Amino acid sequence: MPWLSEVRNGHDHFSERMTRPHNLSDLLLDRSQRDPSSLALVDADTRLTYGEVATMVGRLSTQIRHEGVRPGDRVAVFAPKSTNTFVAMHAALHAGAIAVPINAMTPADAVERLARDLNPRAVVLTADTAERWPLDVSSLTIGSPVDGHRLLDWTCLESGDVDGPANRLGSDPAYLISTSGSTGVPKSIVHTHSSGLRYAELAAECYDLGPDDRMASVAPFHFDQSTFELYSSMVAGAAVVLISEILLRFPASVSGLLEREAVTTWYSVPTILRQLLERGAIEERDLSALRWVLFGGEVFPPAQLRRLMEMLPSARFSNVYGPAEVNQCMFHHLETPPDDEANIPIGRPWADTDLRIVDREGSALSGACRGELHVRSSTTMAGYWNRPDVNRSVFDERQEVGGLTSRWYRTGDLVERDVDGVMYFLGRVDRQVKVRGVRIELEAVEMALGALDGITGSAAYLDPLADNTLVGVVESDATIAESDILISLANVLVNESIPSRVVVVPRLPRTTSGKVDVNRAAALVTASIDADTTTPGAPGPKASDQVSPT
Amino acid sequence: MRTDRLDELEHALIEMIQVEVTAGKPVEAHTDLLLTGLVSSISVVRIVTWLEEHLDIEIDPVDVVLENFQTVALMIDYARRR
Repeated sequence: MPWLSEVRNGHDHFSERMTRPHNLSDLLLDRSQRDPSSLALVDADTRLTYGEVATMVGRLSTQIRHEGVRPGDRVAVFAPKSTNTFVAMHAALHAGAIAVPINAMTPADAVERLARDLNPRAVVLTADTAERWPLDVSSLTIGSPVDGHRLLDWTCLESGDVDGPANRLGSDPAYLISTSGSTGVPKSIVHTHSSGLRYAELAAECYDLGPDDRMASVAPFHFDQSTFELYSSMVAGAAVVLISEILLRFPASVSGLLEREAVTTWYSVPTILRQLLERGAIEERDLSALRWVLFGGEVFPPAQLRRLMEMLPSARFSNVYGPAEVNQCMFHHLETPPDDEANIPIGRPWADTDLRIVDREGSALSGACRGELHVRSSTTMAGYWNRPDVNRSVFDERQEVGGLTSRWYRTGDLVERDVDGVMYFLGRVDRQVKVRGVRIELEAVEMALGALDGITGSAAYLDPLADNTLVGVVESDATIAESDILISLANVLVNESIPSRVVVVPRLPRTTSGKVDVNRAAALVTASIDADTTTPGAPGPKASDQVSPT
Repeated sequence: MRTDRLDELEHALIEMIQVEVTAGKPVEAHTDLLLTGLVSSISVVRIVTWLEEHLDIEIDPVDVVLENFQTVALMIDYARRR
């Protein structure tokens, strides 16, 4: 039986497959044997076929194994997205190592902590990131030299032997994804060959990927959305069009690339789609090849989503939900553009996934309800790297028949299920706060602020320095009066959910994945209060000296 | 646009970028602002707004592309064509 039996466009993509892939590195090998000349990877100045990519991956994998990389060793990729780093991610898997993509913008002290925790055997660097890599960690660098390390430069991709892939089981670790660390210390999520492969297969099926697809690679490799392009592409034999971090700063350049390469799928956070809408000149481009736009990771304000959907009528839009710990677990396809006030669902569970909604006492709820979401699925992580303490608490082990147990991941996300079984994201359990005794969700306040005219981002938090009053921060290029914002909010929020004050800033701090960084936004407001209350040049008062805003 | 006016504009633009965008890191006309990671997407918007104000023009979003904004010299070239 074919492992994906879907027949599309009158032919079966998978009919030639003899066996199903057992691990993530089988995907590229299998595809390169069957369709060696089909296009696999497109960069600004490079076009590579599946055969070429497989050869480059095989060469790098063979070289790093000659240099001592063994199954289970970590291979870090501390470099921006490029064809070479794409090859390195796959070569790590081929060698049986654990691929560890690291945000190339990470400052030196954070990289050092991560490097010591992971202790990689080899690391991919650029001249820029090499300056921030701790000298005594790992013995082999790829791409850029570091004193005292053996170096493989990228010419190693141009010639050399190719050994077969290392033997890895589905249950062996394949890659690590760092959590954003928006709450506390970042943790590294361990995905296995099996959880990664199952995600790749389910996503290829859910979004109907085929060999004719050209998938925009928008997310950097350290962000889990990128696994859609890294691995699902190879399930389907689709081509990946790399969009560099530099190009993303120019939405009109991005839209030009989408037109030129006839890109068919896109997956990103809403923030990047909003930049494309505002500054991407998309009305001047022919984007009729774009057939599916996936967004996830944060809430898309419905008014902007509607405008974007109206400008891209050939594309289907889907809201994708799933913490990086479980890859995806729900989706909602939008059949029509939403109303301005619409609450866009996160939808229903996809295949091979079981969901429960539990109350504060941990009891499962049925029917229409709200509570914390717990997930059990074939795409769930093995656990967090080097964190046995957290792994014990983050999974809920439940007794099943025959003395067996099932393992549920506690997402920490608060959701609501309606009578039809459709789910809505309400916020983080730990971002549910009490204001004057009333329970509110900070995300609901952010959503209301973000939906106002002229506002391109929002954050809300309780200010511990001002009696835990609710503070809103909004991003806008325009001059907007705080009083106007508060009046508009009064129409959509209950009294307790209306911030005591709203600060307008030209730019909100964001994480590398484009989400608003609430902690840094709060620090920005505190710093601006300091600046307002002191003479220029004088040191600001300590936080504890601060006067509560009224 | 006259050449001396363009030189003046180039100096002012470099000064603004050094103060507001690169936090004091020196910039020259041909410094690649993007490869060195000096300029974020936010700063691109700031630079566009600055050019619009100083030249009293409206910059079409379709012109805000890598080819026109990679260096100060390219920005000035773009301004000359306008």
